[in-house]
Amino acid sequence: MRRPVLAFQSLDTTMLGWPAMSETTPEQDPRRLAEEARDRVHFEEEALALADQVYRVARRLVSTREEAEDLMQETYARAFRAWRSFQPGTNLRAWLLRILTNLNIDRGRRQQRSPDLQPLEEGDYYLYNRLEETGREPNNDQDRVDERLSQDDVVSALSAVPHDFRDVIVLVDIGDFSYADAAQILEIPIGTVMSRLHRGRRILKKELAEQTVETA
Amino acid sequence: MSFSPGVDPCEECEKLLQPYLDKQLSDSERAEAESHLEVCAYCRKRYVFEEKLRMFVRQAAVEEMPPDLKQKLAGLRTPLF
Repeated sequence: MRRPVLAFQSLDTTMLGWPAMSETTPEQDPRRLAEEARDRVHFEEEALALADQVYRVARRLVSTREEAEDLMQETYARAFRAWRSFQPGTNLRAWLLRILTNLNIDRGRRQQRSPDLQPLEEGDYYLYNRLEETGREPNNDQDRVDERLSQDDVVSALSAVPHDFRDVIVLVDIGDFSYADAAQILEIPIGTVMSRLHRGRRILKKELAEQTVETA
Repeated sequence: MSFSPGVDPCEECEKLLQPYLDKQLSDSERAEAESHLEVCAYCRKRYVFEEKLRMFVRQAAVEEMPPDLKQKLAGLRTPLF
């Protein structure tokens, strides 16, 4: 079943061209003020309830825990300031992640080389074949993937994937976002999400295969 | 069985397997993928392998949020008065 496509109308250029976002106060009407305060509290509580999920994605988008914590605090500070830009009923988690990924990119990742320039010879079957070659038949219940790879292997392999590919893998495979959501969050075409995901997973499997061979 | 690097032994598998695992196919596309999985032993094997691998990557990559960070985030809320 396809997941619903996000509505991001509320973000438009205000979310992209920081800090040009509206922070106008409502009319000085006590009833309006009370409604606004209630809506804001509701928004903040919902955003905080999603913090664990947002952190899991943030942690794998950056190298260190300290960077992830800084990024989270910047993201939430910005989200709380820009809460009126969020359209109720749309995907708040994706909205927060869009802020977070924009902030992360603004931190200097634009200097990175074009992802399409990196050659990659191995295909999708590389890890599968390497596991077979090391005498460990894949897809055998007696010898499961998680018994051949450690958590450190995965973290290390993921960190070796170039940022542009890793962002997509983290959003889709760890954040559980759809291709369409990831495209909206990263502001790239859905076809680019799919190609980066495909290529990024190949790189990840190649890294895992190399670590598997090293430890065999 | 093993295949040469860069050679896809089953084009059909590669076209459908990833979006199928990602739950991105329409009902008709999913039915097509499932029909193919029924008749292609290699794709079934790959499917199970890929599914396990993704599940493991997802579990292994998760690092829980430090408890004090949530308090710091809550401290960023706008004071009511």
